[in-house]
Amino acid sequence: MSTNISPMRHVRGFDVARPFSIGMLVIIMMPLVFLPLASIFIFGTSKGLTSFWAALTASEAIFALKLSMATSFWATMFNVIFGLFAAYVLSRYNFWGRNALIVTISLPTAIPTAVAGFALLLLWGPYGTLGRFLAPQGVQIMFTAGAIILANIFVTFPLAFGVIKPVFDTMSRSLEEASATIGATRWQTFWHVTLPSLRGAIVSGALLTFARAVGEFGSTILVSGNLAGRTQTAPLYIFAKFNEGQIEAANAIAIVLALFSFLIFSVLFFARDWLDVE
Amino acid sequence: MKAQQAMIKKVSANPDASRNSPPVAASVVGVSKRFGKTSVLEKINFDVAEGETLVLLGASGSGKTTILRIIAGLEQPYTGRVILHGKDVTDLPARERGIGAIFQSYALFPKMTVEKNIGYGLRIRRHRRREIRETVNQLLGLVQLEEHRKKYPSQLSGGQQQRVAIARTLAYKPEVLLFDEPFGALDAQTRVRLRREIRALLKKVNVPAIFITHDQEEALELGDRIAVINVGHIEQIGTPYEIYNHPTTEYSATFLGAADLLPGVIKKGRVEIGSALLPVGTDADKFSEGQSVKLVFRPEDVSLSRPEDLSTTNNCLGNGVVQEVSFAGAHERLIIRLDLTETGTCEPSETPFYLTTETPESQSTRPIIATRLKPEANAVRLRVGDRVVIGLTSFTVLPDNAAPPERASSATEISR
Repeated sequence: MSTNISPMRHVRGFDVARPFSIGMLVIIMMPLVFLPLASIFIFGTSKGLTSFWAALTASEAIFALKLSMATSFWATMFNVIFGLFAAYVLSRYNFWGRNALIVTISLPTAIPTAVAGFALLLLWGPYGTLGRFLAPQGVQIMFTAGAIILANIFVTFPLAFGVIKPVFDTMSRSLEEASATIGATRWQTFWHVTLPSLRGAIVSGALLTFARAVGEFGSTILVSGNLAGRTQTAPLYIFAKFNEGQIEAANAIAIVLALFSFLIFSVLFFARDWLDVE
Repeated sequence: MKAQQAMIKKVSANPDASRNSPPVAASVVGVSKRFGKTSVLEKINFDVAEGETLVLLGASGSGKTTILRIIAGLEQPYTGRVILHGKDVTDLPARERGIGAIFQSYALFPKMTVEKNIGYGLRIRRHRRREIRETVNQLLGLVQLEEHRKKYPSQLSGGQQQRVAIARTLAYKPEVLLFDEPFGALDAQTRVRLRREIRALLKKVNVPAIFITHDQEEALELGDRIAVINVGHIEQIGTPYEIYNHPTTEYSATFLGAADLLPGVIKKGRVEIGSALLPVGTDADKFSEGQSVKLVFRPEDVSLSRPEDLSTTNNCLGNGVVQEVSFAGAHERLIIRLDLTETGTCEPSETPFYLTTETPESQSTRPIIATRLKPEANAVRLRVGDRVVIGLTSFTVLPDNAAPPERASSATEISR
């Protein structure tokens, strides 16, 4: 997967299209992507690093970051394992309703996150379809960290599945058949043969899921209740602080989240060769 | 292990079988297979003896791969049994059959080194590490890949990958080896070299093997016996010599080697081809008067002489005109138009005369492919347009029943 720019060898001398198109690309991206990102860093550090550090280490801020990481972690764990299982079932077995299942699994990509959060509320909320039976028992899922995990799972549901399934589809059945004829059980085959080939897909699926979950806002704000120090994730914290006029506090966390996603995508981009090792 | 014990038991129970001929290592008994409503295999029966190599030869889609997959346990037969070393394994899963399968794509595990690939069978059987190392070393030596042991399959050439695949199956001492078009992905030169290597290797390890191929040359070279498969059934099974020289069906005649086919009719215990009459041979009682038959012969069985040559022609077919002469390496290849109506060139004067009027013009000549080796070609030089007398040094007469109509009226050559 190396980016191979073919030099137009037949064109001798100076090619005007080249600097022009590269310049165009950068100019278009400037106001849309580069400058907004840059301003986070410019504003965040404009009052000195001390105030930045103070904003970052505020207990509510630390809590928000930790909560985001923890909820995203569990959502990722669930979705990778489930994605692996779903990809296995849906690419290995052909059955009636298979395509309907594939579409359903992929659906959350297209659902607005606010709708997802709302749907969860309608199911699990104190007056929801299921929640109304749980509430008398003292079981309250909404407005807890659990609700955030549920929301994260819902919106990142198709990501890991979407990365792993194509690998399953293109994986030659003969590898697994060879393993079977050699004498391996289904489980041994999966562990020694199938899983190693999926390593890249699993890692990139997990990173994608995690990055997406950490940044989730629309569904989280509905199901979490946005209680500072209890159910306030990092993106909610940014929103809350901004509303309160505490721009520095919001900015500090914004920088952390921006750097974090930058890190994840760097891994995804530069470790591609390692992830796809044949 | 279990199957080996079963084998021993069987051999001791049948002392006669082991004394007369090598014991049967694998049998396929009455195997049929359907995919949905399509029948892909019908009543397949064959045995493979201990240490023997059997080649299943057939065109793609003939069902030969399905047979192999059924033996391997990757496919369930609709009816019939698979018996390996006296043990019925039809209901056993692939992993309990103790077979070694070499897939067309080799199916090496991409994330394992050569060593790990070869040791896989022993690792999952939880053998001791030292034992695994020893076996792997031994096999690396056998397939001459010692210096590649740390490489990954993608870093090896096609031939090397295949040797790894073979070593990987030999590691756990399979009782039968199955090869699915093992040379399909290789270039012509490697193919020839590898099949000689594999042939030698098989004789060395003395494991019975079943090969699948559509390549007649490969079949002739690898097989102790060949089974010709055509649309889901076995056309003929026998040694390469038997199948090449005594084909029992038109299909096996044309599939293995090049063959000329001429339609004829049985008349008074002889075969009538146009104006010529040829002896039916030993199978005369198989045919009835007036039955339509096929005369099958190999291009190298055609003997050509000039009409002015007064020597008698054996099994004379009649007169013909050279239509094409081409050079094909070791031999010269000619296409000759046999004239079915012209009489008088062959000595027998009893030739019937009615044929000229009854045979339509387009039916009166037939192309025949003949090949001649260099000395013969040099002795009697022939050019396009020359008239020749066509004789046959050997031929086979087959009943003309199942022949597809489009093939029935033309000489067919299927080679390479």
